[in-house]
Amino acid sequence: MIPVRCFTCGKVISGAWEEYKKRTKLEDPAKVLDDLGISRYCCRRMMLTHVELVDESSPYY
Amino acid sequence: MKVEIIELGDRAAKFVLSGVAPAFVNSIRRAMLAEVPTLAIDYVNIYDNTSVLFDEQLALRLGLIPLITDLDSYVLPSECSCGGEGCSQCQVSLTLSAEGPKTVYSTELVSADPSVMPAEVVPLIKLSERHRISLEAIARLGTGHDHAKWQAGIACGYKNVPKITISDECDACGMCVDACPRGVLVIADDVVKVVDERACSLCRLCEGVCELNKIYDVIKVGTHPDSFIVTAETDGSIPIRELITRSAENISDRAEALDGYLSVIDMEMEMDHHAT
Ligand SMILES: [Zn+2]
Ligand SMILES: [Zn+2]
Repeated sequence: MIPVRCFTCGKVISGAWEEYKKRTKLEDPAKVLDDLGISRYCCRRMMLTHVELVDESSPYY
Repeated sequence: MKVEIIELGDRAAKFVLSGVAPAFVNSIRRAMLAEVPTLAIDYVNIYDNTSVLFDEQLALRLGLIPLITDLDSYVLPSECSCGGEGCSQCQVSLTLSAEGPKTVYSTELVSADPSVMPAEVVPLIKLSERHRISLEAIARLGTGHDHAKWQAGIACGYKNVPKITISDECDACGMCVDACPRGVLVIADDVVKVVDERACSLCRLCEGVCELNKIYDVIKVGTHPDSFIVTAETDGSIPIRELITRSAENISDRAEALDGYLSVIDMEMEMDHHAT
């Protein structure tokens, strides 16, 4: 799961994850992040570097 | 002291404080980060959790949800008349139960006090078939001193107001204009002009690329030592206006308390002096 807040500044960024994931399939991540109001680079890397692993592990629970 | 507001939204603000010492601006920043309390989930009774996250991870995610806080109707557990045992004055109960397959959001929390609600839609956990969660969470007031989840202010900071001076020796070669990453400088009528001084990040790249700077002081990036550009943001638990005013009140309250302690020490010293 995407972390609830940015590790560095504490901004709640998790709410933007689903839209980010959907839109970046077609659009440029930089533009999507700008649109979502994620302006600081600490928050932007939260999205850019996240790897979603819940779907991988959930069949084994 | 002078305040000039540049931006004032619901959650973010930018203003210039002038005629103050750096220590004063810093104390405002620190009060915004660590002194103004907010509500956050602090205790969780987990009745059922067959999801992919451990109970502890789930509790952490719950704790980080910003909760809309009316600071006039709640008190810190340590200052409550119940003595910290927990009552309706100092804590709120929120319940959550869900069954997969679905993603559970913070908005599904059912609060005992309808005014205390999550300020953001946070995806808490993705549940598959057969996965269930059922829990009761207790939210309490706290400050950023104890845990970042109680920190109402986000990315609160300040910088000195920049002061860029360009002398007459400038030959308007334009090197500084190209070097500036913030677009602070332009060439107009064959002279270099400063268009957006406050946008300057004080990186001094312009000083470095200027060839004439090796001989004279042509372009110099300085600061106004007693003026500050303050930026602040909240996590949504309280409006930014309230965060700023409450942090200022907090400083004045603590200064008054210190004054009280000092006068007691003064009095005791005087009594000692008379006794001897
Ligand atoms: Zn951040
Ligand atoms: Zn109480």
